[in-house]
Amino acid sequence: MHSLRVLACACAAFGALAATAADTGKITIQNRIAQCQGCHGIQGWKTAFPEVYPVPKLGGQNRAYIIAALKAYKSGERDFATMRAIAADLSDKDMEEVAAYYGAPAPAQTASAAPAAQPAPAPAAPATVPAPTAGSGGKASGAKR
Amino acid sequence: MNATAKILAAALLAAAAPALAAGDAEVGKKKSTPCQACHGANGMSVSPEFPNLAGQHQEYLMAVLRHYKNGKRKNVIMQGQVKELTERDIADLAAWFSSQQGLNVKY
Repeated sequence: MHSLRVLACACAAFGALAATAADTGKITIQNRIAQCQGCHGIQGWKTAFPEVYPVPKLGGQNRAYIIAALKAYKSGERDFATMRAIAADLSDKDMEEVAAYYGAPAPAQTASAAPAAQPAPAPAAPATVPAPTAGSGGKASGAKR
Repeated sequence: MNATAKILAAALLAAAAPALAAGDAEVGKKKSTPCQACHGANGMSVSPEFPNLAGQHQEYLMAVLRHYKNGKRKNVIMQGQVKELTERDIADLAAWFSSQQGLNVKY
């Protein structure tokens, strides 16, 4: 019974935290990923303009490559209007977290040890390292490859 | 050549046309030797700096190769690689890499 009460408290606390995040309007990594999923998470989704082709699959893609691609969109080196607009608003830390989400093996392939299966030496720092402050201007330090 | 043979020939040509556009994975496999140095024989790259291609959408791969060729997308290595590729080569290579197992639509 005691453990049930603890669980209830934990749930309540989590709920309170979540509510706080929503109230402050802070954009979480879950919000960022939801934005990606709007196109990349839909089977058969295609670009609409100026050319029509399927949006690329990201599940299982190399993390370092995903980060490099996002930085290239942000810097303007790579050209696609939708991705430029989205990447412009991503910090280096956001990019690392998005890359970690997609770079990890699909749940169907590995039930456990997901991070270990994907080698992520990468030039990018792990997500645990304090990231440079978000919104520090368009020219992020790692924009050049 | 009688009328029946002509009709048959026309029908065969019509049937072959979509196949040309779709690309031939087996032919693409043979053409993919230069790609393998970076993107791996199985379409999984040798370095995390390079994208995995295995299982990527065929039409996406074709679009990207065309973008490298027409200069819309810039990458020193890739621009050199695609210079000599024909539309047929692009279709075949894309058919081959898209037929491999690797990437997935992750939600």
